[in-house]
Amino acid sequence: MRLREVAIGIMAATLLFAIMLAVTLGGTGWTPSTEIRPLAKFYLENCFNVFNKDLWAASPEAVCAMLWDYRGIDTYYETAVFFLAVIGGVAIFRVAEIKISVTRERQRGLSIIVKSVSRIVFPLIVITSASVAFHGHLTPGGGFQAGSILAIAPLVLIAAFSRHFIEEDLRLTKDKCLTLRTVGLIAIALIVAIPILAGAMALMQNQVKPWSHHFSYPEALGPLWLAGSLFFYNVAEYLTVGAGFTLLFLLMSIPEEEFRRILKL
Amino acid sequence: MIIEAILQLYGYAALITVVAISLYGIVRGPSLIKKLIALTILGDTANVLIIFLGFRFGGEIYPPILPTLNPTQETISWFISVAVDPVPQCLVITAIVINMAITMFLAFLIIQVYRLYGTTMVKKIARLKG
Repeated sequence: MRLREVAIGIMAATLLFAIMLAVTLGGTGWTPSTEIRPLAKFYLENCFNVFNKDLWAASPEAVCAMLWDYRGIDTYYETAVFFLAVIGGVAIFRVAEIKISVTRERQRGLSIIVKSVSRIVFPLIVITSASVAFHGHLTPGGGFQAGSILAIAPLVLIAAFSRHFIEEDLRLTKDKCLTLRTVGLIAIALIVAIPILAGAMALMQNQVKPWSHHFSYPEALGPLWLAGSLFFYNVAEYLTVGAGFTLLFLLMSIPEEEFRRILKL
Repeated sequence: MIIEAILQLYGYAALITVVAISLYGIVRGPSLIKKLIALTILGDTANVLIIFLGFRFGGEIYPPILPTLNPTQETISWFISVAVDPVPQCLVITAIVINMAITMFLAFLIIQVYRLYGTTMVKKIARLKG
């Protein structure tokens, strides 16, 4: 038994070393080198090429241009996977509405210092996340990152005050989160559908391309650069992810004893 | 140059070792929680590895974001010559979202398993009947 484990260990180490050597010597293509791959060159050259607008995405940020324009359908399905995971979580935790005695819950929470700091930090987190979402097509960030930041705000409140504070005082219940989440996903689908309904023959293309020269979202609104539909995608994704995570955090913070009582364990 | 190559080899060695340890954790971890932790470590390490593949050596290296809204032809060629590869970053964003979704769902499943069976130890769960 012991010999077998040693043999497995040696084999694993050899395999690891072989993989490492293969990667380092260029087995997976060009590992960090001074040049980048031709595919990357294509995206970098075309994402904001104002001199040749045939393939551009109108976003100076190559990653956002790839996510929502060149590989837009991928990103849509990725959002759908996240949505399904949230639905799965809700299905596992499907219980009747949990009622907690108000007075008992109100006395809980962390100290007054933590509560005061949370009150100050909460709007700051929301503002930061909004700025990340609204600038996602110009600066690092985007819908998913902004949504993740937004979801931290209710998490802070759950820790500092209580779950009850969010549900009763902020009126942000589980069902409302689910509705917001669905609204976000439908908004993404609508943003995709509008150009098709208007006659353009391409899915998830935010700018006029040689094969879809009928309709596209405006690339700028006065001094504001919108990058076509990228701005709207980012905002919709922001809503979707923020509400989805808030919903999951709300479900996870259901008190254990309440749950056990309902499950009759 | 030699130091760079050694550092690169060291980076790969570290990442692949972490992958190996996390794989071991997934297979041999006694508790579902430990398996989940190992799974998240595996996912994060894979993401770092992918980002690592997209990096480029050289003098000045910039993120793949054009710093101006009024570029000239020269700005665009300069951008191509200094920006890192955006493709791995894009893949990693997708991977992080899906990883997050899976982690959340598994966490929910594990919590429910604990509530129903009172344990997260795989061997104990396997011995339970009904």
